[in-house]
Amino acid sequence: MSSPADDDFEVVPLGNGRYQVTHGATRRIAFAVAARDTWVFLDGRVYLVSDTADGTPRRSSVDEHGTLTAPMPATVLAINVEAGQRVERGDVVMVLEAMKMELPIRSPRNGVVKAVRCQAGELVQPGATLLELDEREGP
Amino acid sequence: MTLFPRILVANRGEIAVRVIRACREMGIESVAVYSDADARALHTSLADLAVRIGPPAAAESYLSIDAILSAARQSDAKAVHPGYGFLSENADFAAACEQTGLTFIGPPVEAIDGMGSKIAARRIAVQAGVPVVPGETPVDQSDEAIADAARRVGFPVLLKPSEGGGGIGMKTARDEEVLIAAIAQARREAVAAFGDGTLYVERLIERPRHVEFQILGDHHGQIVHLFERECSIQRRHQKVIEESPSTALSPALRQRMGAAAVAVARTAGYRNAGTVEFLVEGSGDSAQFYFLEMNTRLQVEHPVTEQVTGVDLVRAQIAIAAGQPLAWRQDDLSQRGHAIELRVYAEDPTQHDLPQAGTLLLYREPSMPGIRIDAGVTEGSEVAVHYDPLLVKLIASGETREIARGRALAALRDYPILGIRTNVPLLIELLKHPRFAAGDIDTGFLDAEGDAIRARLSSTPPPEARAVAAAARADGASSAMTRRSAIASGVDPWSSLKGARV
Repeated sequence: MSSPADDDFEVVPLGNGRYQVTHGATRRIAFAVAARDTWVFLDGRVYLVSDTADGTPRRSSVDEHGTLTAPMPATVLAINVEAGQRVERGDVVMVLEAMKMELPIRSPRNGVVKAVRCQAGELVQPGATLLELDEREGP
Repeated sequence: MTLFPRILVANRGEIAVRVIRACREMGIESVAVYSDADARALHTSLADLAVRIGPPAAAESYLSIDAILSAARQSDAKAVHPGYGFLSENADFAAACEQTGLTFIGPPVEAIDGMGSKIAARRIAVQAGVPVVPGETPVDQSDEAIADAARRVGFPVLLKPSEGGGGIGMKTARDEEVLIAAIAQARREAVAAFGDGTLYVERLIERPRHVEFQILGDHHGQIVHLFERECSIQRRHQKVIEESPSTALSPALRQRMGAAAVAVARTAGYRNAGTVEFLVEGSGDSAQFYFLEMNTRLQVEHPVTEQVTGVDLVRAQIAIAAGQPLAWRQDDLSQRGHAIELRVYAEDPTQHDLPQAGTLLLYREPSMPGIRIDAGVTEGSEVAVHYDPLLVKLIASGETREIARGRALAALRDYPILGIRTNVPLLIELLKHPRFAAGDIDTGFLDAEGDAIRARLSSTPPPEARAVAAAARADGASSAMTRRSAIASGVDPWSSLKGARV
């Protein structure tokens, strides 16, 4: 049996979000739905394929400017730092609560807290800015 | 004997759906209650009647005794099924139901009270001649007094909300160094979840199995057990996989534990469905078991018992509450085959089990032999941040454990849930794990193996998935999307048909 090239897939829509994927002699059923990014279900795994085409899903949490954002709707339970405070990578800077569970938010790197953008008790929406770190400092 | 003409289901999600369906089978009308977050939820749409009980916050809706009682009055319900969680183990609620002439489908108020307090529960177990784990609730609840209690009980210790259950707010402290921080966190979570920061301090038994026995008692003095459920696959003390029978129990041990469970229930004056939880150290005839607590309600994992005993526990609860005698004696009951339950949670196993919220853009249940699905959601459901992340329970049954395991794996691989992340990929890896396959599990299994398992859960899409995504984007007007975007843009095809005949 000839082994087909890696990207040599035939994908046929079967309707209602179902897709037949054929790769050489291998046939599988996948499910997909296009939203802001495209959700794909294949053999028990779920993938979020971004429209940016390289397949890397968008991540919240922190961007390169040091802005920490809420990953999901949650209540701010505790804020452990204040502006001007030095933090190290991995420090729990605040605690969110969602679905009856505490979610510790850790600093992604060493730095100094530039501003705290939320208050304890506040309900934050996904993407909302929680905290800003100063410009890049240290690894 | 006549049952209730109408039952109010004081819960949401999959358990509300389960109870509503049981009512329908029995010819009983069901009343759903819903918060504003659940106006379009599955349970709200399935019941014969539905009553709004308040805003999304559970404290003002599903946990509000006044709101539930007023919904019962408004809908003329004769009985209340509390499900699990929320008010199910709230003695004040059970008492308030009885005072207003509503039958509470559950145990007597005194039994909830007795078992709701861990101290009283232990006293009952000791009185019944059943061994218990060392522990105490300090009268002085200051941090220092709790720390002293931890030293008396001996490390490692477990700090639990005295009012709690379901593993919410439990914290482990292995030594002095982390003790004070653990006490503060346990207290915070206890207050948040139960409105009471009282803590119970207990010795942590290392590598224990969590094995529980299902009990049914009627109002005529009969109490039986329906064998065990093994619930050792837990994360942060929250169960993920349950099964029956347990691979740890020999027939002799099973018989001893079953008798102990019945003795605890009898001493507590128990009636209706309940669960006696034990920790088991070791396996086989020489294993030790300790009474842990009694849950005075239906359990999340009740389906595995139903699958191996053939007894419908929700029907039994309703029949018992209506005064009917149990339909079986102990000798009539047996375990047949094997059942495994997988809890599908709205959380991302690749991101420290972060809870997920969003819309189920695509949701298709597998249909195959030996698979039962107890779902609280359907395609298009909104998963909100306000409640427990349990979406669905998938229960696989077969003649043997290996057959049930194979069926569970096949079903999960054919169970697309898109729009939010779930723990399905983690469940698949757990089922495939050699230690799970061999039945070599304990309550520390997921903590010990979890990181290695999660490392295999890369979410980087393979070329095949990218090809499918490209096809789906090209195929942008897929039917699922069309319907969802119509709702998102406020043009709900169903609302706009109101008043029309469809």
